Amino acid sequence: MRITVEVNGAARSADVEDRTLLVDWLRDGLGLTGTHVGCDTSQCGCCTVHLDGEAVKACSLLAVQADGCSVVTIEGLAARSAGREPGVVSGGLAHPVQRAFAECHALQCGFCTPGMVMASAHLLRRNPDPTEAQIVTALAGNLCRCTGYVNIVAAVQRAALLVRSEGMQR
Amino acid sequence: MVPFEVRRAHSVEEAVATLGSARDARLLAGGMTLIPALKHRLSSPSILVDLARIASLRSIESTARGRPGLWRLGAGVRHAEVAAHPGLNREHPALCALAAGIGDPQVRARGTLGGALANNDPAADYPAAVLGLDAQILTDRRSIAAADYFRGMFTTALEDDEVITAVEFAAPRSAVYRKFPHPATGYAMAGVFLARLASGDLRVAVTGVAQGVFRWHDAESALAKGHPLPRLVREDLLEDMHAPAGYRAHLAGVMLARALEGFPLGEAG
Amino acid sequence: MNDRAPATVFERAPPQVRFSADTHPARQEDLRLVTGTGRFAADWSYPGMLHAWMIRSEQAHGRLRCVDLSEVKAAPGVRAVLCASDVDAAGFGPLPNVVTHRARDGTPQKQVFMPVLARDRVHFAGQPIAMVIADTPHQAQDAAALARIEVDGLAAVASVGAALAVGAPQLHEGVPGNLSLCYEAGDDDAVDRAFASARYRSTLKVTSQRLIPSPMEPRAAVALHDASTGRTRIHVPNQGMLSMLGYLAAVTRWPAETIEVVAQDVGGSFGIRSGASSEYALVMLAARRLGRPVRWVGSRSDNFLSDFHGRALSLEGSIALGEDGRFLAMRFRDEADLGAFTCYFSTHIGTRNLSVTMGGVYRIPALSMRSELVFTNTVPVSAYRGAGRPDIAYAIERLVDYAAHEHGFDPIALRRLNFVAAHQFPYTTANGTVYDSGDFHRVLDEALARADFEGFSARRLDAERRGLLRGFGVACYLEASGPGGAPKDQVEGVFDREGMLSVYAVTGASGQGHETSFAQIIERELGWPASRVRYRAGDPAHHLIGNSTGGSRTLYGAGSAVKAMCAVLLAKLGPWAAAQCGVSEDRLAFGDGAWTLLPQGASGSSPGQTGNGMPPHAAPSGLGALRLEALVDALIAGGRAAELAAVGEAVSGATFPNGCHIAEVEIDPHTGEAALCNYVSVDDLGKVVSPRLVQGQVHGGVVQGWGQAFCEHAIYDPGSAQLLTGSYMDYPMPRAGCVMRISTHTVDVPTSLNLLGAKGVGESGCSGSLPALANAVIGALRARGIAALDMPFSAARIWAALQEAKGESR
Repeated sequence: MRITVEVNGAARSADVEDRTLLVDWLRDGLGLTGTHVGCDTSQCGCCTVHLDGEAVKACSLLAVQADGCSVVTIEGLAARSAGREPGVVSGGLAHPVQRAFAECHALQCGFCTPGMVMASAHLLRRNPDPTEAQIVTALAGNLCRCTGYVNIVAAVQRAALLVRSEGMQR
Repeated sequence: MVPFEVRRAHSVEEAVATLGSARDARLLAGGMTLIPALKHRLSSPSILVDLARIASLRSIESTARGRPGLWRLGAGVRHAEVAAHPGLNREHPALCALAAGIGDPQVRARGTLGGALANNDPAADYPAAVLGLDAQILTDRRSIAAADYFRGMFTTALEDDEVITAVEFAAPRSAVYRKFPHPATGYAMAGVFLARLASGDLRVAVTGVAQGVFRWHDAESALAKGHPLPRLVREDLLEDMHAPAGYRAHLAGVMLARALEGFPLGEAG
Repeated sequence: MNDRAPATVFERAPPQVRFSADTHPARQEDLRLVTGTGRFAADWSYPGMLHAWMIRSEQAHGRLRCVDLSEVKAAPGVRAVLCASDVDAAGFGPLPNVVTHRARDGTPQKQVFMPVLARDRVHFAGQPIAMVIADTPHQAQDAAALARIEVDGLAAVASVGAALAVGAPQLHEGVPGNLSLCYEAGDDDAVDRAFASARYRSTLKVTSQRLIPSPMEPRAAVALHDASTGRTRIHVPNQGMLSMLGYLAAVTRWPAETIEVVAQDVGGSFGIRSGASSEYALVMLAARRLGRPVRWVGSRSDNFLSDFHGRALSLEGSIALGEDGRFLAMRFRDEADLGAFTCYFSTHIGTRNLSVTMGGVYRIPALSMRSELVFTNTVPVSAYRGAGRPDIAYAIERLVDYAAHEHGFDPIALRRLNFVAAHQFPYTTANGTVYDSGDFHRVLDEALARADFEGFSARRLDAERRGLLRGFGVACYLEASGPGGAPKDQVEGVFDREGMLSVYAVTGASGQGHETSFAQIIERELGWPASRVRYRAGDPAHHLIGNSTGGSRTLYGAGSAVKAMCAVLLAKLGPWAAAQCGVSEDRLAFGDGAWTLLPQGASGSSPGQTGNGMPPHAAPSGLGALRLEALVDALIAGGRAAELAAVGEAVSGATFPNGCHIAEVEIDPHTGEAALCNYVSVDDLGKVVSPRLVQGQVHGGVVQGWGQAFCEHAIYDPGSAQLLTGSYMDYPMPRAGCVMRISTHTVDVPTSLNLLGAKGVGESGCSGSLPALANAVIGALRARGIAALDMPFSAARIWAALQEAKGESR
């Protein structure tokens, strides 16, 4: 099927097999390898992207289901857009969640990190001042094997603070 | 995954027709159960009927119809939408809380009420609410009472080409859902939906414990009469490496006890 | 090689990342990782790349009567199918077994090496039988489903007990009773005598259950072959490119100099990413044969059946005590499940890693152990985070608690009585390990204070009123970090024209932040900013000796070499600094990143002395301080960057990190659910280079320990030897919220075993958490008559234990 999806702000079109997963199209079709595949039972969240503003697991969606929709991946989260140009504005990383993750040592190997960041960014857009319990609930779909999660929860709290204190619009 | 064709349905009629056109056509709602199953080759349909573009399946409306608090939820409504809906939260908070506890946030963004009910996983949450609230399952061709709908593990009263369009819930006087989650999947290892219906009747619906959701009649009558709660005795208790049957039965009792904390029992029927 | 990837392995320098002063410096690698521009094995892509899928045995044990791949080969898009005959024709060897030991009487271990692909027998469900290579991943997977494999099933054994039982099926020729090795260490006679005369004896058998290590990156490999040069490049996750190269060369028997291992980011390793697996060798063969790049990406379910499993030990400990509670002897009878083959490090787990720290933090005059290493029809086991050392730490601390309660001793006082005292170091244990340093009393005191031990009984009472059982678990552990197999660690520092210092070393990181730690060492030693350091692991152009990451040794091992490199560099720069200042070298002192002029007549620092802790002397006359950074920049501007290259090397053996971890749990007897209320760790790690990274390692180790303690268990069906926990649907993993707060603290009891004075931290979290959590759970349950229980302490298992205890008391 021919699909057209807005990916990180740019319209992308392709002919895909109907059974192509969204995550595979993003990674292999578009070269956006920041979205990772960590499991095959939809439980690890490494593949989390934003679809029409919702955090979803790209491994559990067909690319054809995203036709006509807008997708934002980890590469597109920063201020500058798509592809392999990470956005860096003066003062550090562009997105408060990305910055907070680095500041709070909320990542070690980095494999789960894109999914964690996307899930966290979505939480903060809906709920700019989450409690610890709400953060834990928001990350229930994301696995990490390295950090033990404590610093990740702290990073989300810090990101919320950055958003509020610096008025960063996310 | 085996190759298949995705056909987008723009109306319920179209969906029914496409389903009926091929023996191995399957409905694609949220995909939260179907797509993992396809990846593991547990299912090999040749056609998937995508319901996403049928707007009528996505609505949440209060229908009144002379019955206070009657709500119709489209089959395509996502768990996250139910959880966040202001009107439902006012009149059906237990239903919203149940939806808020399904899976994880990413699953709740896509998973649908209709999909959950059509699949009828013995440990799913929604069946407990549907049975506990005496809901009506509306399809393209009829209305099925909850009591008649659930037929066993992954089995329902639906015909092969039948499509759920909506579920109607009447607001209870009070309701609460308590779940003990499975440590690996988050499904119910025991989930109890306790409700005092508008009629005054008590309902105790249990999921996660047996081959399918069921009403715990012994507990209902014990509660109605003010007798001590019975232990759960059933032939078809689920048993696996995570929890033996006896433990699940016990958990059902514990979840009921938790549901009863603060539950207004004193109102007469 | 023709590829879309950048010509060099590594991305262009990331832009400088600056943060506000009150935040911890970020790691160098974080920018690419949080923006999704890292590169893991499955991220490598080349034009014309083909895709592979594995065909694995569905049976656990049997003779391969028929492997009919004809329909596979004929399927659309299929370019090749590799099976055992292809592997044999290519002259490949089996997967290496790196560690082997002898029995006490000198009998060598009965090793059985895992073939790259099964030939005529299969020995575990999941064992690779063939690899399909096709144009697309879907085509490869579709084709694989067409394989017709007929197996004459044989009876299978899924546990050590079943494998050792009389009449059990024998897995391998020449290994009767499935016993690969009976390993003994220590002095049986001394131990027997001590037990005979002891006032008290206790025995406790514990299981460290089989685990699925599950780093978040599923295993993947991309290989490409250049026919004109005969070189093969392979992208794989690894723990050290040099050792991975060695294993690949050993399997393929291709000359090592024709193989290039390239990895940028590795998604967690924990010990099981160090070895080369079948798929790696197969993609190399496929790439060479087909003249196209080939990529294999394992699915998670596939990884459950093909990643090495972890732990799988049972440990029966016995302790003999004198009248006053002094430990007289300790004896262990252990069983180690090897899985179906001896692979890589499995033998190390059940042998030296159980004996080297047997005895833990205690003075025990007599020690002995006997360990049976046994083959079963299960996935082969290899080293997973601690690889036996957390397991023995677990068993010792469970045994000490058990013995204390059995014979009426206070468990904390009993520990104190038997600690190796601070003045007794270096201390040689009864089986020959030399602990160089430690202060166990201090560590215990601090942990008890921070965990508010005094307030526990009030908290327990309060829990009782709420209907809950509360337990306080103490664990004093000692770790022996990896001695390293290489004779030394080397690093090489090279300045480039752009003013960056690239540090080349053997070992790669898989999350530990080595890039950052090494940069911090350099900044501390030389004043050269960490942001101007780049770490290059395993660059094939730099031939260096060194160890892979493993055994928690990289920071102090390669890090000491980094420190040594700084000294070499400083020595090289000395003459230039002197020339710049117009004085002789002995007039200069180096400290805080700069040379300053010593007052006339003052005894100076000799050139090349590192600046650490050396204060600048009296104000230089007429000269400011000459910053090293400025001097180097001037030299680079003058075209002399190449002359500044420096190699540092260091020999760093094992170290002995140790600590006390304390956990407090509350159990709801209605459901059996345990909740962690508090967790304190006090670890003696020597000198800490990067406190934040250390904290991260402790957190990670503690939560992996939590996973083993409360939910993880790789379960096999005893009859069919099928892995029942085949995915995350049945294998629960720790998730956010399982542990909300970990109060981590470090203590520095100096060690001179390496240049940095550091002790390895990577595996300490597991060694402390397993016994702390277990002792807390047992502590909570003891009031209900439960003195022993095995992990995982799932709600169902705790509840079952409570019911059983109730039944017995009636």
